Amino acid sequence: MITFEGAAKHYPDGTVAVAGLDLTVESGRTTVFVGPSGSGKTTSLRMVNRMVAPTSGTVLVDGEDVRSQDPARLRRSIGYVIQQAGLFPHRTVRDNIATVPLLLGWGRSRARARAAELMESVGLEPSQAKRYPHQLSGGQQQRVGVARALAADPPILLMDEPFSAVDPVVRTGLQDELLRLQAELRKTVLFVTHDIDEAIRIGDRIAVFGPGGELAQYDTPERLLTHPVDDFVESFIGYDRGVRRLAFFPANELALREDVLLDDQDTVERALNTVDTAGQPWALVVDAQRMPLGWVDVDRLRHEPSGLELGRLTLTAYGHTFDVERDSLRAALDAAVLSPAGRAVGVDPDGRVLGVVSQADLGNAIWSVS
Amino acid sequence: MDVLNELVAWFTDPGQWSGPAGIPARTAEHLQYSLLGLLISALVAVPVGLLTGHTGLGGFATASLANFARALPTIGVLFLIVLLVGIGLMPVIIALVALAVPPILVNTHEGVRQVEPALKDAALGMGMRGREVLMHLELPVAVPLIINGMRTAAVQVVATATIAAYVGVGGLGRYIVDGQARQDLTMMVGGSLLVVFLAVVTTLLFAGLSRLLVAPGLRALAATGR
Ligand SMILES: Nc1ncnc2c1ncn2[C@@H]1O[C@H](COP(=O)(O)OP(=O)(O)OP(=O)(O)O)[C@@H](O)[C@H]1O
Ligand SMILES: [Mg+2]
Repeated sequence: MITFEGAAKHYPDGTVAVAGLDLTVESGRTTVFVGPSGSGKTTSLRMVNRMVAPTSGTVLVDGEDVRSQDPARLRRSIGYVIQQAGLFPHRTVRDNIATVPLLLGWGRSRARARAAELMESVGLEPSQAKRYPHQLSGGQQQRVGVARALAADPPILLMDEPFSAVDPVVRTGLQDELLRLQAELRKTVLFVTHDIDEAIRIGDRIAVFGPGGELAQYDTPERLLTHPVDDFVESFIGYDRGVRRLAFFPANELALREDVLLDDQDTVERALNTVDTAGQPWALVVDAQRMPLGWVDVDRLRHEPSGLELGRLTLTAYGHTFDVERDSLRAALDAAVLSPAGRAVGVDPDGRVLGVVSQADLGNAIWSVS
Repeated sequence: MDVLNELVAWFTDPGQWSGPAGIPARTAEHLQYSLLGLLISALVAVPVGLLTGHTGLGGFATASLANFARALPTIGVLFLIVLLVGIGLMPVIIALVALAVPPILVNTHEGVRQVEPALKDAALGMGMRGREVLMHLELPVAVPLIINGMRTAAVQVVATATIAAYVGVGGLGRYIVDGQARQDLTMMVGGSLLVVFLAVVTTLLFAGLSRLLVAPGLRALAATGR
């Protein structure tokens, strides 16, 4: 547990970086500091490992004032990941990861064995052990940065915008990796970002920092989206918070239609019967393994020879699907909005179609959770 | 053509290759003074440069001192010290050290200063103490620049060690001094060629040294110009 008690940082030039922060970071959870540039997130984070000394107030780790400990020893017990990864250019990946174990006097072979273990847990190939940082992509460097911070198995992990310098696809991958690791390791993670989406994805609790180093709101992601305390927080979250909030509702309660699924061996005549019975303008064609092939609409079917097999038609692309078990209402809504048929395709983890849901049905479902 | 023939004759004269005034003996003396001068310079300049670079203190003093020392005419320094301590090897070494310290000192200082702040931040944040930051980060990252400074110093020292001859302690400078006194152009050119040869060998030696000492990760970085 990390406790900030009236922790403040005033610089001699008059800048108030942090204006008296009172906040408790729960153990084993991920707490995110989010806020605009200059709102004191980094400064607050660095008070924990004494990289910044508060000008007033205290920071306690497990009830003990950080100032009562030798800084170097304190820091070795707290993992630290920074934005540019900060890897030593003259050390191999393996030796970078082994840095803190070596400082702690573990001995080279044990430190390297530990490094190898961590490379696996953060998703790096063993063949990359002897590479140098400049031979890695930005995303891989960040993985090394995370592995290095975890090397001595510290209970606390401080991460300052660790994923902000990589492209969105890589960033999502790194976030997934962190979520997976955290589910396994249950560290006390303090994560700084200025990306509210990242905060919502990663955080169990989110602290929104406002201008002037003030804490504006400290809440769960869901509460933050449903009940922003003031205009500042609301505008910081963005006006599409209603849609974002759907990310907290699972898609598995949606009523999926199976009556508009057609086999690619079916004839046009059969298809017309099906859509007429269902009263739906679109039907989804699937193959023998129930993998989606594409949409076909009523108007189109009426112009085709009735004996033709559906597999011979050029179908309308089905766009992207959502995983019924794992995705949220937000993903389902997104799939429906992007679909040319105005309908989203729900699949199982293997990609087999379970059913489809229309925008109208989604609207009802969203209405019922709001 | 005449000069060339005489030079060949000078170099191939068997008498030239033995005895205390022969080329091997003179070269050995020359190398010995150069090495001693360089070694003392490195022992002084590298630690001081590491310290000023690491602490960020004395950066201005270092640069000023180096600039001042660079402006000194080495031969002037030599005679000044001879006046103070008398003839012998010591004034030669002191003059060479005065010559070699600036490039090594400035490069070491700069090598440490150029370490990215984010790297130092990471090092401290991981719990390295000042000494550990210096030994595990700043020194290894500064090595390429330090070697560069040493190479510059070494070439200057090898070229300048000829001044030893002015105070009667030998070295390849003897050929130049004696040649001048006897109006023997061949001898002067021969001696100069030997000095040039040593300087080239020195450069090559340092190229090899940097291959050996610079971490592969840094070498590739330097190659890509980052
Ligand atoms: N050494 C310093 N001297 C004076 N002011 C400083 C110093 N370090 C930071 N500040 C100021 O303190 C404020 C908070 O800085 P901090 O780095 O904590 O912000 P941040 O929320 O992390 O911002 P960002 O999202 O841009 O990283 C800023 O206004 C910054 O300019
Ligand atoms: Mg910051």
